Amino acid sequence: MNGLITRRTMLAGGAASLLAAPWVAKAQANTLRIGMQSILSGPIALLGTSSRNALMMEQDRINAAGGFLGRQIEFVFRDSKGQPQEAARLTRELVNSTGCELLIDAEASSGAFAVQEVVRDLGVACIHTNSETSSLTADPKIRVPTAFRVARQGVHDAVAGSIYLSEYANAKKLNKWATCSPDYAYGRDTTAQYLQFFKQFKPDIEIVTEAWPKLGQPDFTEVITKLIQAKPQALFTLLYAGDLSAFVNQGNIYALFTQMAVATPNVDYPVLAAIKNLPPGIQSATRYLETFPDTPANKEWGQAYLKRWNERPTNWSWQNTVAMHFYEAAIKKANSLDGKAIAAALTGMKIDTPFGVDGTITMRDDHTTINYAIGWGQTTPKEPFIIDVKAADWGKIIELETEWKKQQKYI
Amino acid sequence: MKGRPALRDSAIAAAALIVVLAIPLVHRSPAFEDFVIRLSAMALFATSLNLLVGNTGMVSFGHGMFYGLGAYAFALTMQMTDLPLPVAAVLAVLVTTLAALCVGAICVRLSTDYFAFITLAFQMLFYSVVISWQSLTGGDQGLRGGIPRRQIFGFELGSQLHLYQFCAVVAVLGLLALRHISASPFGQTLRMIRDNENRASFLGVVLWRARLWAFTIAGAFAGLGGVLAALFVSGAYPELADWPNSGQAIFAVMLGGINSFLGPVLGAAILLALNDVVTRFTEYYGLVLGIVILAFALGFRRGVLDFFRLVWPRGLR
Repeated sequence: MNGLITRRTMLAGGAASLLAAPWVAKAQANTLRIGMQSILSGPIALLGTSSRNALMMEQDRINAAGGFLGRQIEFVFRDSKGQPQEAARLTRELVNSTGCELLIDAEASSGAFAVQEVVRDLGVACIHTNSETSSLTADPKIRVPTAFRVARQGVHDAVAGSIYLSEYANAKKLNKWATCSPDYAYGRDTTAQYLQFFKQFKPDIEIVTEAWPKLGQPDFTEVITKLIQAKPQALFTLLYAGDLSAFVNQGNIYALFTQMAVATPNVDYPVLAAIKNLPPGIQSATRYLETFPDTPANKEWGQAYLKRWNERPTNWSWQNTVAMHFYEAAIKKANSLDGKAIAAALTGMKIDTPFGVDGTITMRDDHTTINYAIGWGQTTPKEPFIIDVKAADWGKIIELETEWKKQQKYI
Repeated sequence: MKGRPALRDSAIAAAALIVVLAIPLVHRSPAFEDFVIRLSAMALFATSLNLLVGNTGMVSFGHGMFYGLGAYAFALTMQMTDLPLPVAAVLAVLVTTLAALCVGAICVRLSTDYFAFITLAFQMLFYSVVISWQSLTGGDQGLRGGIPRRQIFGFELGSQLHLYQFCAVVAVLGLLALRHISASPFGQTLRMIRDNENRASFLGVVLWRARLWAFTIAGAFAGLGGVLAALFVSGAYPELADWPNSGQAIFAVMLGGINSFLGPVLGAAILLALNDVVTRFTEYYGLVLGIVILAFALGFRRGVLDFFRLVWPRGLR
């Protein structure tokens, strides 16, 4: 009898503590907690982890310099598993029960839109560091007073890439193009955006075939043979991460890269590491490259990251780093952690950073960054992997972005 | 005599509701309030599934479709029209009910295995439509732009406390309705079908009709859960309608106990609490969850509430 009661008591106690645990913890006094959520498990956990790595370096740097407003900072990292409803829950949890006073939203796009709506309710300062979907900040209905974006933006990349590729196509007389992009919103929308601008600069191009492989597809044989049979002069692909490296590795077997020119904006260090024989001459954007901008500060940061984590940084790494630079400058200027005060300080702010095309990045009035490094060059099998990098013309990018915003009725 | 169990259930529901509504008056905890909001949605979802699994013996793998449909129908109605929130919620539940009726009409005549597979197939079909119909649903990026938070009877659902109160009331009323359905002669008929469909058929029960009713009612309440989920995330996302979400509901039912009415509610609470606790400490959430479920399954050999009813029969019956 006693034994039974003990077991029941233990079970009841266990269940009660399990249920009580989520709202027991509270922030420790004086340490400034910053909530960070991202995809830290699953197939693209590598990108979330590279965001976390960069933020841990920033935490050490900022604390060594005295913290924010004299308070040491501490990140609270959470894994959303890439699920929007979980992303929304985590944002609430980070602020409501973990006591975070600032947010870094390192979610991919779908999660970022869910976080955006929670931030609208909570009124806390938040910087989205990885969502590239333009409407997050471009659409005034979706924009939130205390939420900002420090990341590439789809429309910026599309304009820069189209200008570069139209010049390249004119020089090489490449009129017949094929596309191969992942079969979901990012792949289809961004391909359409690239083609819209591409055709604007080079009206005589013809798309001879389109391939839409599934995300995470292990075998690209069908896609590669379809592309080869269509006999295009050039291929544009938005495959990324593991899909891009698998495509290149399998494309090498079919000698795809000797039969057509190839262009992609999505080459990153982890992709390069996963490709066995990187074909030379792929036209490629620099998502993050230690040699572009070719400055000592950029090189130093890239090397420091490599030394600490024994791997190269990604595009997501520099974006998270710059987000902390913006927070640092804005909190200093506002002398406050209040969401509205930080928002007022961030709007229009220009900071010095190794990742800007001219050593600076600006947070525009519409809560998104401009002037970050966008360059296009061509691959080479050895370091630095992308050479002859040409910097994009930001004047032209902003001009065409404004046109696009008018078309979308955002302005 | 006949009315007593119904009265008792109503009294328990009223007491539970009073307690839940009184907690924020004594102590405000935003994390607890969020937990109750999410639990309200999940409890309706899992308990409605148990009307099929536990009461009727119909294991549906596609129940998430109705949860997702409720969320999308509600969020789209709120975004595209100026209708008041309760009207949009009722419309969303009606749309889900109609969808459940149509899907059920095709599925319920099939035997157990085929029924499970075809419900899964319908869910995958619905999920594909959500992903592909980008102009309406936003595709894989979900329905963006938030849900307009219109006031209802002075309640502003943008306020966490008001959302908490709204969700608690809806969930308790929903669960009470499901309890009455489960305890009604119709509910007894469903259990008779589960236990021996031939005998039920000989007694004059039209099997497909009873099953179709159960399927439709379950779909409607899952849709109501979806409405609450949409309010919590202020949008609708394809993951709400995806098969892992159906799996979550099945987990909740199995974990809490299929033979106890409140089993799925307890299972949902355990799952949500586990998620909240485990994700704080590790990225290997799936691994920990798997171990915990295995421990429950091997330790209790049934759902938690079913286990307690077995070892403590008088107290919990």
